[in-house]
Amino acid sequence: MTIKIAVIQFPGSNCDLDTIHVLNDVIGIKADLIWHNHFKEAEFDGVVLPGGFSFGDYLRSGIIAAHSPALDQARIMLNDGRPIIGICNGFQILAEAQFLPGALLRNDSLKFICKWVNIRVENKDTVFTNKMNVGDVLAIPIAHGEGRYFTDNLKELEENNQIVFKYSNEKGEITPKDNPNGSQESIAGVCNLDRNCLGLMPHPERASESILSPKGTEHGKLFFESMVDFIKKRVS
Amino acid sequence: MPKVKLEGDEIDVDLTESEIKWIKETLNRDPSITEIGMFDVMHSEHCSYKSSRPKLKLFEDAEKNYDYVLAGPGEDAGVIDIGNGYALAFRIESHNHPSAIEPYHGAATGIGGIIRDVLCMGARPIALLDPLRFGPLKGNPHSQWLFKYVVKGIADYGNCTGIPTIGGEVEFDESFESNCLVNVACIGLGTIEDFKHAPSRAYNPGDYVILMGGSTGRDGIHGVTFASRTLTEMSEADRPAVQIGDPFTKKMIIEATLEAVKTGYVRGLKDLGGGGLSCALSELTGDGGTGGDIDMSKIFTREPGMNSFEVMLSESQERMAFIVKPEGLEEILKIFRKFEMAHAVIGRTDDSKVLKIHEGNNLVVNLPATALSDSPTIDREEKRPAYLDDLIAQKTPESSMSLEDIIYKLIASENICNKEWIYRQYDHEVGVRSVVKCGEGDAGVLRIIGTNKFIAASVGVNSKHCFLDPYNGAKGGLVEVCGNVIANGAEPRAMVNCCNFGNPEKPESFWFFSKAVEGMNDFCRALRIPIVGGNVSFYNEDEVSNTAIKPTPVIMIVGIIEGKENIITLPFKNAGNDILLIGETKPELGGSEYHSVIYDLEGGKPPKVDEKKIKNIWLFIHELYANKFVKANHDVNKGGFIITIAEMCFNNKLGADLDLSNCFNENLRDDEILFSESVGRFVIETETQNYDKIMELAQKFDIKINKIGILIHEPEINIKGLKMTDFKLDSRKMKNLYDSTIPKLMEI
Amino acid sequence: MERQEFIVEVVLENKPQARDPVGTTIQKDLLAKKGYEMVTKVRSGQYLRIYLSAENEEQAKEIVEKFCNELRIFNPVTQNLTILKVNKQS
Repeated sequence: MTIKIAVIQFPGSNCDLDTIHVLNDVIGIKADLIWHNHFKEAEFDGVVLPGGFSFGDYLRSGIIAAHSPALDQARIMLNDGRPIIGICNGFQILAEAQFLPGALLRNDSLKFICKWVNIRVENKDTVFTNKMNVGDVLAIPIAHGEGRYFTDNLKELEENNQIVFKYSNEKGEITPKDNPNGSQESIAGVCNLDRNCLGLMPHPERASESILSPKGTEHGKLFFESMVDFIKKRVS
Repeated sequence: MPKVKLEGDEIDVDLTESEIKWIKETLNRDPSITEIGMFDVMHSEHCSYKSSRPKLKLFEDAEKNYDYVLAGPGEDAGVIDIGNGYALAFRIESHNHPSAIEPYHGAATGIGGIIRDVLCMGARPIALLDPLRFGPLKGNPHSQWLFKYVVKGIADYGNCTGIPTIGGEVEFDESFESNCLVNVACIGLGTIEDFKHAPSRAYNPGDYVILMGGSTGRDGIHGVTFASRTLTEMSEADRPAVQIGDPFTKKMIIEATLEAVKTGYVRGLKDLGGGGLSCALSELTGDGGTGGDIDMSKIFTREPGMNSFEVMLSESQERMAFIVKPEGLEEILKIFRKFEMAHAVIGRTDDSKVLKIHEGNNLVVNLPATALSDSPTIDREEKRPAYLDDLIAQKTPESSMSLEDIIYKLIASENICNKEWIYRQYDHEVGVRSVVKCGEGDAGVLRIIGTNKFIAASVGVNSKHCFLDPYNGAKGGLVEVCGNVIANGAEPRAMVNCCNFGNPEKPESFWFFSKAVEGMNDFCRALRIPIVGGNVSFYNEDEVSNTAIKPTPVIMIVGIIEGKENIITLPFKNAGNDILLIGETKPELGGSEYHSVIYDLEGGKPPKVDEKKIKNIWLFIHELYANKFVKANHDVNKGGFIITIAEMCFNNKLGADLDLSNCFNENLRDDEILFSESVGRFVIETETQNYDKIMELAQKFDIKINKIGILIHEPEINIKGLKMTDFKLDSRKMKNLYDSTIPKLMEI
Repeated sequence: MERQEFIVEVVLENKPQARDPVGTTIQKDLLAKKGYEMVTKVRSGQYLRIYLSAENEEQAKEIVEKFCNELRIFNPVTQNLTILKVNKQS
């Protein structure tokens, strides 16, 4: 079967080509770059909202893109269980479009931060984490100015096991020092109740080739491989 | 500034009487107000290079003499063929004066400008580098303010457009206090085909001229001329001449332009920067041998009631001019509509060789297309400053400080300490090309996806060395920056430079420029490095205090590494390995960090460059690489080789046992050994088993090389073999000092 | 009824639980350190000035509140919206 994934390109997206490269050349599936106004969900098995500065981050990161017709199309996929992943700006868009709970605010340091961090897997039962184990520590880079996760409903998130990743140190310990942006509970990524939609601030597409990783790891691949696995099982 | 009386109006221009005379003679009439405004901008120092062109003529013709150079100086960016069907476009520019007044927007629009230049060559911008200079930060809120906001301006603009900033440098010195330097460089990647499709000249009559991007407002009228004037107390009022950039629009322009270029219908491409539309149109037609007929009323303006003067001279940001084949017009317009980019067809080229601009039925500009770009040059006088001899003769004072304490002070000094505070704010990973990242190497290294080829790039120069000896200092800049890319495994392929100097009308200031150009010229010819572009920023001088900046001819080198296995990085790798110092250490403390940080001394004997020796060192290192002998490499610069070694120890928390006995000329003092900034040296890590072979090769190339120590696990650097007693350095303490200086200073 | 031109000014601020590092930094790291210790608190936010035509002030306010909520001009999870004032355009 040919798996087809859409990578949505908003005005101002800038990690779109990076994501296409990883999906096409590293994972080996067919990924198409789709201009946001032209996106039609019926042709695709999954969708990626990539990183960048959609609409210049004007008013608030992700808010204008959240109103794009592309999100109406994506909502159909959300409801029928197809995989949706929002990376960095993509996460911000999914939060504003209310596919995911919570919101992303400006980093506590008030500065943009670009560095490699560690995230601990809190929940492996999502479409994008089925190849991981709870407690695994992944090395993935962040690059954002508005990555501080906030929710007014932490209890519900915890009860429903919607917290998928937390910033940690190499050993998997959650400490303030390893929280790069002041996120509540060091949350780096969350999912929806149906577990088919994931949003995270770190960039797995930048961590899928050993040549780009400081320690030669390829943890980013696990996200996309999990997605492919899920799609294959779903179809059969 | 002379006032020119025209058509009943009086207008202030920066042109001299003789320049005005030249204009009247060339046109055989009085120019219109708009025309004189265009000449004022186009013949300003910043646009016309009238003071520098006579000297820059020294450089050899890169396009003629190097078969891989596809575009040289005079184009929007230098372009080189790097093999596998790919071409690299790159350029460096200055945005000093606007940044001194309004650091955030000045630096941001500087980035906007340099991106456009590379985009004009049909290349996708893939990297930025930023060499910066400020007054010392300590105790100086003004310098801290400039530093903080310049970095933020570069970060915000670069991050939003998705172009990684992969390198840069920063120097702090009192001479930059009133005149900070913000130079920005951009590298673009394209195919040879793309490059062929986007010449920056309008060669064909009958093509459409399309303006695309941001709308035209009253921004920056006279912004460029302002760059050619020295900063005086009036400058605060000059604030309106600094524009507000819009990186979001720029990102859309990048995507729309690249898509348009791929159609093959774009025959000319020009960005609107200094001098706005007048500059762009005159360069397109004048350099292309054509003329043009433009209707100003088609230009979409942001403000009502703009007259022709304002429209032609506006420097509103984020605008591009396209020259499009008639049969491709619809397709190009469709692309602009897709990206929702404002655009207008404003005219057509023709074979008249005259640039005609109408405002409705009024002909407001009617100039020979070459008149604006062919400005007369001025031969400036040069005179070596008398004070230099005394400065160079200065001797190092006696010091009561121990060598350890001196080293601890140096590693924490502003010019040496860790610059991580800066580069953490830059997204240096976007584009998934960054293979050697900030902090891991002397140069930034990018991969070319789909090939086993890598690009290495670096920028810099030592302005303190250039001040004492601009000729050798400029050469030294080349040695250092080439050394940076070589240290990462690359072969230097081409150079661009950004010359920042004082007032060229003062013979002593112009002398520095003249000597620096001679130094660059001699070195590049000897080492066969083509100069494919350059930028000159004069008037970096404070009229009130009568101080000029230290001469700063920033060098940028782009190099190529073939094969992932040939990439070398800076950090030491394994305890037990040898530490070798390549190159001769001479008593050259002039302009060193040691002199300025410990004694507040500017003088002393500055480093000299011997091209033959440098060439041999580079060939030798190339051999070492071919034999896979080198595990880590870092070229020696500020602070001397002891600082180089400390920096290499940090990342992997290693230490070193150094034995310096018999490694240096016995006439050298201990401080000369440790802190000399003699150029062209490298510290490398090699395996003991290869020592003999390496020494054999060194003999063959006639290289001065010494094993100066070995790597150890313990976080300490032990030094013996000097005239003073042996001592040791705590490298954890050094790392703390190295890391904390800038964050502490920038806490607020 | 005749429509008139109004200007509605709104401010969007972070809810207290979402914290306000910008406001806190301005007060703590800038003002307090530079001799303005008498400033005890600074709140930051976004200011919007909206020009619209409506039948009266009440309606102008209603329209603004409606679209701010519908289109998420402010983020109800993290922000509060306050209408500062409504004026007739002169």
